[in-house]
Amino acid sequence: MSSAEIEVSQVRKVYYKDRLEIPVLDGLNLKIAAGEFVALMGPSGSGKSTLLHLVGGLDTPTGGSVRVGDAYLESMTERERTAWRSRHIGFIFQMYHLVPVLTAAQNVELPLLLFKMAANERKERVKTALTIVGLGDRMDHRPNQLSGGQEQRVAIARAIVTDPDAILADEPTGDLDAKTSDEILDLLNLLNSEFGKSILMVTHDPKAASRSNRIVHLEKGLLEREEINPVTVRESAVA
Amino acid sequence: MTLTLVMLKNFRRNPLRVALTAVAFALPMAIFVAAISMVVALNEASANTEKELRIGVHHKTSLVNPLPEGMRRKIEGLDPDRTRLTGVCGMRWFGGRVPNTQNTLTSLAADADTFPTVYSDTYMQPAEIAAWNKDRQACVVGMNPAEEYGWKTGDRVTLESTVPPYLQLEFHIVKVLDNPERANFFWFRRDYLVESLKEKGEDDPRCNIFWVKCNSAQSLRSLQKDIDALFANTPDETKSEDENTFGANFIQMAGNIPGLMQAMSVVVVVIVAMVAGNTMMMSFRERTRELAVFKAIGFQSRKVFQLVVGESLLLALGGSLLGIVPISLVLWLHPIPMRQMGPVGSLEISWMAAGISLVIALVVGLAAGFGRPTKPCVYEQQMRCGALSKD
Repeated sequence: MSSAEIEVSQVRKVYYKDRLEIPVLDGLNLKIAAGEFVALMGPSGSGKSTLLHLVGGLDTPTGGSVRVGDAYLESMTERERTAWRSRHIGFIFQMYHLVPVLTAAQNVELPLLLFKMAANERKERVKTALTIVGLGDRMDHRPNQLSGGQEQRVAIARAIVTDPDAILADEPTGDLDAKTSDEILDLLNLLNSEFGKSILMVTHDPKAASRSNRIVHLEKGLLEREEINPVTVRESAVA
Repeated sequence: MTLTLVMLKNFRRNPLRVALTAVAFALPMAIFVAAISMVVALNEASANTEKELRIGVHHKTSLVNPLPEGMRRKIEGLDPDRTRLTGVCGMRWFGGRVPNTQNTLTSLAADADTFPTVYSDTYMQPAEIAAWNKDRQACVVGMNPAEEYGWKTGDRVTLESTVPPYLQLEFHIVKVLDNPERANFFWFRRDYLVESLKEKGEDDPRCNIFWVKCNSAQSLRSLQKDIDALFANTPDETKSEDENTFGANFIQMAGNIPGLMQAMSVVVVVIVAMVAGNTMMMSFRERTRELAVFKAIGFQSRKVFQLVVGESLLLALGGSLLGIVPISLVLWLHPIPMRQMGPVGSLEISWMAAGISLVIALVVGLAAGFGRPTKPCVYEQQMRCGALSKD
């Protein structure tokens, strides 16, 4: 069980399209404590997903610094960031992005193929991860034999099977109905409270955001405001 | 589970597309192997005839224009001491076919006395030569017509000519050749033809060609010039060619067949390979997000690249082998008799052609894999476009 503090300092991100400069993040500062669950909200184009990708090491900032635990991502090479990501970050996407020809267990096992690990140990970890998300009995089902909610659970199992320090979720409930969304959010809360995972979740849904410890609102690449959720903070403290 | 298994499982995504892509590789590769094998066989046949040191002397206008049989003596007169030539054999086209069949055999009437010497590559034994000399109806046949019609030495066979006056003659087989370069020929005695024509009221002892067997390559070149010079400015001007050139020109009367075959097969393979390669690239493009997920969960670009290239290589090579292996086995184990291809007796596998087709498949497979954007910078671009974030 591990978690990491995330610190984003004076981060700038500029994209170039047809020689046109498109600033997305403009000197953003944000600190997320180890084991904290933070929701990122804001209008489209405010830089939420970009921030998520920077924290996950999928992209590099134009300026400023991104630190996750002891790792300063801006100083790493692409190869180093990829290797680091495999050990420290778990990604969850809106559209699940499971490999359709693999079973649930094989999808969850994918990140473990990057480690020197005995097949038995891999199998054990996969079973544990799928049991945590409540799909211990669906290991041999392929994605097309699962509901949307179950697919997202498999994606969550894939994100936690390597025991990462932080989970980065990009609109994880965006494609689900209200009931299933609640179940997914319960699961994220469980991973945060029981397993101490730091979670950074991008969402447009205020209800989903209300399940986090803190809601961070972005506007035009800057932190507009923050809201502390006293209920979840208290629950986390109790847990 | 291993990455190889992931790669193999990917073929189950769209089995119909995978099957069609494999077939798209298999068919042109099979055709390519067969066509190039034919080109190789033609080239080898040319090389083999070259070493026989024979000159074909025919009318300068065309092979169809007959030459007087007396020309043989004049050609022999160029070298009375036989220091340059071994023999001269006049031949006339008969164009015979087995009654009630369609295939015209390469059947020629040859001077009886010099045929065994000039065509020493028929390897006639003394007893066979004696039978050839003794029997007016004697004939020597290649292995393909013998196999097709079930002929053997000692058999009596009948051919009907496809040229006027459409004689129907009976022959006695004194030898079935086992030389693959001579697999399609049917030779018989010209005196028999001349006498049979006389019986029909046609006194026409002319020849279509004289074959001159030379002692050396040097003699061949000098005789070639001397023969054409001898008949220059006469009603029967000649064109003398070595057998290799004659064979090539004869085949090319119907166009540059080897060149055309080579060019067409290459064009077909290149076009189909491009189409199949593009199909493979499209199937990867459809999976851009999925491949980006592999990056997101920590797979190095090199690993993703291996996955993509491995898959496209496997499909290209697998599909190609599906075409190459059966055609190679067929041509290797049972060479196909080529009855209408002159010097080429049978179509055998050219391992070089099989090798080239595999290399083409390898290149297409690699190109399709490289065609996929697998470099990190491109992934990052895809991330910016929100490939992973939205549907």
